[in-house]
Amino acid sequence: MEKIKELVNLIHSLAPEDRKIKIMNVCGSHEHTIAYSGLRSLMPETVELVPGPGCPVCVCSESDVINAINLSKRPDVILCTYGDMLRVPTRIGSIRSNGGNYKMVSAPHEVLKIAEENLDKKVVFFSIGFETTTAPTAALIETGIPENLFILTSQKLTPEIMEVLVKDSEVGVDAFVAPGHVSAIVGSNAWRVFPEKYGIPTVVAGFEPENLLLAFVRILYQIKEGKAELENVYKGVVRPEGNRRAQELMYKYFEKADVNWRGIGNIPKSGLEFRPEYAHLNAKAVFNLPEIKEEKIPGCICDRVVLGKAYPTDCKLFGTACTPRNPKGPCMVSLEGACNIWFRSGVKTA
Amino acid sequence: MKMEKVEIGHGSGGKLTRELIEEVFLKYFNFPELHTLQDATYLPGISRIAVTTDSYVVRPLFFPGGDIGKLSISGTVNDLTVSGALPRYITAGFIVEEGLPIETLERIVSSMAETAKTAGVKIVAGDTKVVEKGKCDGIYINTAGVGEVVRELSPKLIKPGDSVIVTGFVGDHGVAISLAREEFDVETPVESDCAPLNSLLTPLFKLPGLRFMRDPTRGGLATVLVELSDSSGFGVRVYEDRVPVREEVRFICDMLGYDPLYLANEGKAVIVVSPEDTDEALEILHSNPLGKDASVIGEVVSDPGVTLVTSIGGVRRLELLEEDPLPRIC
Repeated sequence: MEKIKELVNLIHSLAPEDRKIKIMNVCGSHEHTIAYSGLRSLMPETVELVPGPGCPVCVCSESDVINAINLSKRPDVILCTYGDMLRVPTRIGSIRSNGGNYKMVSAPHEVLKIAEENLDKKVVFFSIGFETTTAPTAALIETGIPENLFILTSQKLTPEIMEVLVKDSEVGVDAFVAPGHVSAIVGSNAWRVFPEKYGIPTVVAGFEPENLLLAFVRILYQIKEGKAELENVYKGVVRPEGNRRAQELMYKYFEKADVNWRGIGNIPKSGLEFRPEYAHLNAKAVFNLPEIKEEKIPGCICDRVVLGKAYPTDCKLFGTACTPRNPKGPCMVSLEGACNIWFRSGVKTA
Repeated sequence: MKMEKVEIGHGSGGKLTRELIEEVFLKYFNFPELHTLQDATYLPGISRIAVTTDSYVVRPLFFPGGDIGKLSISGTVNDLTVSGALPRYITAGFIVEEGLPIETLERIVSSMAETAKTAGVKIVAGDTKVVEKGKCDGIYINTAGVGEVVRELSPKLIKPGDSVIVTGFVGDHGVAISLAREEFDVETPVESDCAPLNSLLTPLFKLPGLRFMRDPTRGGLATVLVELSDSSGFGVRVYEDRVPVREEVRFICDMLGYDPLYLANEGKAVIVVSPEDTDEALEILHSNPLGKDASVIGEVVSDPGVTLVTSIGGVRRLELLEEDPLPRIC
């Protein structure tokens, strides 16, 4: 507690009085800690903690979800995916509401058993996520997978979306807290571009409140000194080069591709798709799945929330028409979505 | 012929029903009032009565620390007790699924009898219906409870400055049930706190500063506090690090995405008491094993709403959840 007080006092003494500092996190677990520990209530008025694109479920394209729904409705297919994905709304409902053949998994390796127990079916693993889930999917493929198992990918890259944010003047990010888990895979060096090319202080942090507060102190210190550097306050877990083996596996099977982010659009080289030589594993190729043009959800501003251009409470639907029980937009579905976290941690409608 | 399973005929009102009543219910429910087997039981007068009713549909029927029988008596006793009444009589209605092993029914009924004995209440009327296989999940129990009012307690009595006490660790029942469903691959020693609380709470009735009590079952501690604020017009400030939560419960909650403040308890009470009577209330609670971990977790404040001061000194609001994270918890 003394340490916390000291860090909060430091934050207050380092924060500028005459301008706002927007510190963006890009990880649902960071936002969770911030909301549940009440970190915003401890910040000086000039320091804003902004949730950014930290929820892979929220940015999974509508096209990918609709393709997954349609696969689950085929009698010869069992679709497997993470629990949150089952409830993501599209114009034709969610995977769950369509009532097809689907199974929930909590980790990629669980699909192996499902495939082995259902040899008469084509089992499709809808693999969504940032680097933290892509690496285990690659590792799964590396172990050798049954012939009836295919993978529908919707895999996104964190540094690439952060670069989009930096270039968007409406967002106006002053500093990044880089995500601890993703950093463990990609390495802290992946964020070097932000201080070095764009002059944005970036600090890799873990998930305890104290560790996040320390990251804020380091950021405010850099801003006060007029510096922009890469720092790592999660050193026990994150190395500069990351997990080389995980990176090798990811890029053995996948390559960077232009992919669609829900509500945001196509971003060059911001995702991972199968390399052509692994097309036989790729559900998009095997089932000849189309790219479907996205339809916007009326009234929903999840796209602006994901990019840190709006807070969940700026949305007219938040907490009224859109709640975790009856989500209208993807950010209210996932436990990592900013709207869901804000609602559950006690934030009322604006 | 020895009965092995509950059959549709056991609910017919005929000979089979009589056999079930005699060989299962009356065997354990050894209360003279019940043994008259009349349509209604005559009871000695009580000057001012409190009445409650509750239904129990918990899944699974048996879980670490309890079962649906123990739960049904404890829950009814606790509802009366936190209302300032001495629990006296309980009725029990059973809806049983055809095919339920008699042995299972006996385990449940004997557990009810044992809990009633512990709590000093009598089971004085009962009913049994049997429905076809698949039309209910094993057994559901409905109870009514009658108690003698000693103190009238109400959210309207609370005042800013009053202490808010919880009688022990929160979240145990919710975690025990979710683990008993074997939906998760976790080995843990967490047991339900399911227990009748009248021996713990009735000694508090004598305190003039006792204002309000509630057992935080479905919706947990947070829901009780939000409802208290809503119906009193005052607020509650609660300190996260003073709320007793077992290490293993916190760990499992972190893993499963639950908040222990919202998980059900079946052997805990939230108590609001004047500042003057707080020490004596704690002394009374600590003298009973059921209340040995009782703590003051916060205070009543004038601004409405429930504010949680987090363990690092931040603040956030506690609001009602849309729905219980774990259905069929009791």
